[in-house]
Amino acid sequence: MTNIQDNKKEVVITGFGGQGIVLAGTILGKAAALGDHRESTLVQSYGPESRGGACSAQVVISDTIIFYPYIKTPDVLVCMSQGGYDKYIGDLPDDGILIIDHDLVKAKRKVKEFYSISATRIAEELGRKMMANIIMIGFVTAVTKIISMDAAQDTVVKSVPKGTEEMNLKAFNRGSDYGLSVLKGREKKAEGRTGAVS
Amino acid sequence: MDKYKIILFLCNWGPHAAFQALQDNRDAIPSEIHMVRIPCTGRISKSLLLKAFEKGADGVILMGCRHGSCHYGTGTETAEKNTEDTRKIIETLGIGKERLKFVTFHPDESDLLLEFLNSFTKEIASYSHTHVTRSKDPEPWVEKSIEEIVSKHDVFACQDCGKCTSACPLALTGKPFSPRAVAAAVISGEVNDESVKNDIWSCLTCGICYDRCPSAVNFPEFIRDVRCYYKNREITGQETHGGFFQSLMRTMTSSDLKPTPWSWLPEEIKTDSNSKVLFFGGCAPYFDIFFREFLGVKTCNILADSLRLLNFFDIQPAILEEERCCGHDLLWSGDRENFTRLGKINADRIHQMGIEEVITSCPECYRTLAYDYPEHGIELNFKVTHLYELLENEINKGAVQFKKINKKLTIQDSCRLNRFENIYDQSRKLINRINPESFTEMQNNGKTSICCGNSAWIGCDSFSKALQVKRLNQAHDTGSDVLVTSCPKCQIHLKCAMEDPFRENELKIETMDLTSIIAKTLRWE
Repeated sequence: MTNIQDNKKEVVITGFGGQGIVLAGTILGKAAALGDHRESTLVQSYGPESRGGACSAQVVISDTIIFYPYIKTPDVLVCMSQGGYDKYIGDLPDDGILIIDHDLVKAKRKVKEFYSISATRIAEELGRKMMANIIMIGFVTAVTKIISMDAAQDTVVKSVPKGTEEMNLKAFNRGSDYGLSVLKGREKKAEGRTGAVS
Repeated sequence: MDKYKIILFLCNWGPHAAFQALQDNRDAIPSEIHMVRIPCTGRISKSLLLKAFEKGADGVILMGCRHGSCHYGTGTETAEKNTEDTRKIIETLGIGKERLKFVTFHPDESDLLLEFLNSFTKEIASYSHTHVTRSKDPEPWVEKSIEEIVSKHDVFACQDCGKCTSACPLALTGKPFSPRAVAAAVISGEVNDESVKNDIWSCLTCGICYDRCPSAVNFPEFIRDVRCYYKNREITGQETHGGFFQSLMRTMTSSDLKPTPWSWLPEEIKTDSNSKVLFFGGCAPYFDIFFREFLGVKTCNILADSLRLLNFFDIQPAILEEERCCGHDLLWSGDRENFTRLGKINADRIHQMGIEEVITSCPECYRTLAYDYPEHGIELNFKVTHLYELLENEINKGAVQFKKINKKLTIQDSCRLNRFENIYDQSRKLINRINPESFTEMQNNGKTSICCGNSAWIGCDSFSKALQVKRLNQAHDTGSDVLVTSCPKCQIHLKCAMEDPFRENELKIETMDLTSIIAKTLRWE
């Protein structure tokens, strides 16, 4: 048995209590374990947080057994509130991936890989603000590829309340479509093609 | 093998004397040459030149007076331009430009004339026959009786309320025209009256009456079927541009013909012949050649920009190399027989490519492919999507933005898109996404929008012009500097009205297709 944990990724999701941060973490972990047949752990912090303060879910995903579920230096930091960002941004290394909700978080620190999505606004457009977390999961899946798209969709359907599956799947797809578009746009821009004509 | 047919349009003045000298001397004029004596080459329009090929000519000669010796002054120059344009069009059509020639002779050049006739006949023989083979169907096409047409569209349900007339753009420009009166006249058996015939041919089929009708009488389709009834009985309407476009479309029904409508496509545009998605362009390449001299429209840009937008979203569609017209204007000018023939060829070729989805940016192509083909028994194994629908979906995914345009915009709706529930507001959604200085609706907009003044290349008259002027005035009243269009024909018709030399400054406004605006301003975020 080796001590090196293969292909290990540590994800911290933070936000307000009530945004569905823990559910997002659960979906991420479940998709990795049940869908992609890998190892995963989830540590959730609640308490005063669940009454509106900063709240977080810490997910570790790996190909081999995970020895320690707490996260000191995340590979991916997902922030859905300013409070969460302020609390955890210091832990993120320079080569980490930062993902924020564009309208709720002002990111001051520059990291190499940075993504933002107006998850809450899109959720409002879709008719339910509470689906922002699912949109975020879609976005995270598309840009980081930590979990597979099929596993993520499957887990979303199984994790949300009965009767809302279709709506949540739509939300997930909005998030992942946006993520894929962002990647495509960056790729094209890198090739020097920013518009349709030039 | 059949003998070749060469039509010689021979000017009455200069070259005719030379030709007559040949006849007097009993010189051997090739028997393939069929001479048609004409007053002046300047009066032989593009339409007449094309029609010779449509009717089976293998070569056409337009023979006039040498430069400076034209009896009427400008005949030779006009004939040169007409020939040049028609040559380009028959080249695109797959007939080959070398089959049409404009030549000039002096009255005393009979030897040169004979030499030319011999060499041209040989040249045509070397190309063999054209692929224009418009064989007659074994079972002649018979349109329904008037009673059947009336009952099919339930015209009896008309309550004579007049809501249609009060909304009809033709009636509102002062033309003595009333949809309900036409309906009543046809019901009471007056279908062959001259006034009814006139009305049936002048309807714009824009559909605003259908929209307003409390009994939901589908007036445009009723008119269309009565036109087919007329056409079937050799009663023809006033085809515009000498019937050029109808002739063009009828020629395309020859299945062996190989048109090349995509030869102009810029190199940077990527297409993929293995793709399951096909982009259907439409007649823009022909429009651009035909209207080059008069309007200078560049409707091919709409196709190029559509393809650029598809490429932008990583879609590399297939194109139908031998694409033919969708047939919209044949159907709406009453020629159901040739429409069905054209539709079958297009559908067959698209099926052979294994296409699953057809995208088009032309409102008429969209309506015809998605709706009229299946209605006429042409089964489609593919889905038809209008470009706006696809753009809206792709843009909605996000990560794109629009560069600011320092222009004030207003929009002319296309009748064909406007009547489809599922896409009628797509143009508005898109225009609200782009970033102009301002966007103002015209007085008549959306569902109450009025026609650009003409449809299916028939019945253009002073009322069409009045309608176009009215529309352009509405556009100017919004204070906009760009009139956005969705249909290449709206652009052509409105530009035509702007050519009025006396009201040029009053009417001129920049027109631009919505697709092109999006293509020019869309950016990755």
